[in-house]
Amino acid sequence: MSDDLRKGLLSSRFRSAEPLLGISEDGAAPAEAAPAQAAPTPPCYWNQFFHSNQQIPARARGLRFNVYQSLPRAADSSESVPVFVFHHGAGSSALTFAPLARELTSRTNCGTFAFDARGHGLTTPLRDQDSVSFYNADFAQDFQFLIEQLRLNCQDSLPGVNLRFVLVGHSLGGSICASVFSELTPETRALVTGVAALDVVEEAAVAALASVDTFLAKTPSVFPNMTDAIDWHIKKGYSNCRASAEIAIPALFRPLPSGKVVRITNLQVFRPYWHTWFTGFSSRFVDLPTAKLLMLAGSDHLDKQLIVGQMRGKFQLVVFQESGHFIQEDTSIKTAITLLDFYKRNGSKTVVIKTNWKSRNVKTHNSS
Amino acid sequence: MEVDSDVPMRDAVDEPLDPTLDEDARAFPAVSEGETSGIADHKSNKPLELTKGSIGQLDKWIEHLGKCQILSEEDVSSLCKMAVDVLQFEENVQPVSVPVTICGDVHGQFHDLIELFKIGGPCPDTNYLFMGDYVDRGYYSVETVSYLVAMKVRYPKRITILRGNHESRQITQVYGFYDECLRKYGSANVWKMFTDLFDYFPITALVDNKIFCLHGGLSPMIETVDQVRELNRIQEVPHEGPMCDLLWSDPDDRGGWGISPRGAGFTFGQDISEQFNHTNDLSLIARAHQLVMEGYAWSHQQSVVTIFSAPNYCYRCGNQAAIMEVDENHNRQFLQYEPSMRPGEPTVSRKTPDYFL
Repeated sequence: MSDDLRKGLLSSRFRSAEPLLGISEDGAAPAEAAPAQAAPTPPCYWNQFFHSNQQIPARARGLRFNVYQSLPRAADSSESVPVFVFHHGAGSSALTFAPLARELTSRTNCGTFAFDARGHGLTTPLRDQDSVSFYNADFAQDFQFLIEQLRLNCQDSLPGVNLRFVLVGHSLGGSICASVFSELTPETRALVTGVAALDVVEEAAVAALASVDTFLAKTPSVFPNMTDAIDWHIKKGYSNCRASAEIAIPALFRPLPSGKVVRITNLQVFRPYWHTWFTGFSSRFVDLPTAKLLMLAGSDHLDKQLIVGQMRGKFQLVVFQESGHFIQEDTSIKTAITLLDFYKRNGSKTVVIKTNWKSRNVKTHNSS
Repeated sequence: MEVDSDVPMRDAVDEPLDPTLDEDARAFPAVSEGETSGIADHKSNKPLELTKGSIGQLDKWIEHLGKCQILSEEDVSSLCKMAVDVLQFEENVQPVSVPVTICGDVHGQFHDLIELFKIGGPCPDTNYLFMGDYVDRGYYSVETVSYLVAMKVRYPKRITILRGNHESRQITQVYGFYDECLRKYGSANVWKMFTDLFDYFPITALVDNKIFCLHGGLSPMIETVDQVRELNRIQEVPHEGPMCDLLWSDPDDRGGWGISPRGAGFTFGQDISEQFNHTNDLSLIARAHQLVMEGYAWSHQQSVVTIFSAPNYCYRCGNQAAIMEVDENHNRQFLQYEPSMRPGEPTVSRKTPDYFL
């Protein structure tokens, strides 16, 4: 498909999606919802990783979501096309998935969708900041809203294309993926091929929450400039890959007129909600009625629910020993290949299991 | 909302996705695969014949290992060289006679293995067939696999040790055996010896032509037991294909073949099991690979049995373990057991992840 045709498709999609998203004709948000401050500026270079960046005001959620996405190319309906839908973890942002998204779209015809969750990045409340809460259910409902919109947009702009969704969440985002699955409409759920959770284990996460104060005390909110901020995260081992840090870390900071940069997300604000974030994740994940992939960094530190699930063959486990917590940044190529392999294995309803059994035809099914 | 028309639209290249991940793409650390341990450099052209001297040596090792003490690196090397000359002459489908006691996953739980021999009776008075997964996850993989290999060399007709999906270079680098070897020997040499040896383990066994035993399950590429005999098993466990399936597949409540949620092997339904048993004139498929809370579990209307012999798996799952005795008349009896008492738990350092950045 030519670029022109594709751009045409994209713009028609956005026009048709606008009423759903509560956007007025000229693309501006409805007057009563307009925020007082100037429109936020996305970080540089996002366009090397995604095709588009939009601010999506969602009155139903009381938020204006900052979204990055790349739509797949049109494809024959006999071929299913995956769209990888990302949810980042606490204190992170959509652009943590930028390197991974680029690896995915460079390898096969697929879509990618990432957004800043509430309280993060360039996503802002439409009204009063103080009314925003951060329960697991809040994140899950935001995600549900966006996935449903994404499905409508994709179906509208890519008619006849056999789309499939793979939900990919890192850390808290993985927990949200496990929570959102049952909240999706049946039409959308039917299109979900699987859920991939990146470095999230309930027991370890809950244990980590106990030491958050120490962590916060050692985590500066202001740096003299962006380079220092990036350097600090690399030095502390929060990022093992400079190229990834250069796109992911600036998205966490807002530049001040002085040239200093200040962390956007106030991690302390989340404290009352922590207890809801990971509780029940492991059993929820194991029991998801779809294909499941758990990718861990460092070691195989499963909790009981996950060990039992894994030893019963309920999900695929992959461990990236050389990676830090941010698997999608540290090992974006391997993560992309693993996700594509996971999709390919589970994704197609028409998957044929080759057999040389002669006696009779045996039926086949996929894991969902 | 407008599309940013300045955005360069890159067309994704339509390259077909490689169905198998290459070695490099898998999530494993770089361990030089080229170097071998040398245990198979001077293979004999006939099965090992034990001498008075080697029997004495083996008995000494078994006594030492029985106290949960590791052998020296030199002794492991000698043991593995002897084991190659036993295992290389075993078949892909190793014939086994009744009576025999069939066991499932052990996973480095050495003290529970000793308990298993107490429950089932000492080897060689009792014949044993182990269906793989001796290493990883538990804290005593080195002692466990050394002990079983020493028993195999000492009593080759009395004990059969099949290969599980964890008897693999790749899996052991992630799930503990590699790290344990480094910790206990200060180098990866012993890990290399054992993983080179694993390539020689038989992959299935056939008890009196009636019970087909293997670690995982059936393969859509293997319709007859004879087809297993045609495989070249002396290699690392592949990522896909019949040998991979035999070590990775699981029975399922749904009929037919299914994609395995594990990411390797397949699921197979009752129709498949019944057809396989019928085609091959079998009474039962015995396999391990899955944690079952009672230590054993029937499926597919007693066409398939799962046996799991690591009680309280990973020291935290709360499951019973079991072994299955098959007597001269093919009567089957399950013996269940609880975890043994262990000495103080070794401390294994675990990172606490930063879930906030």
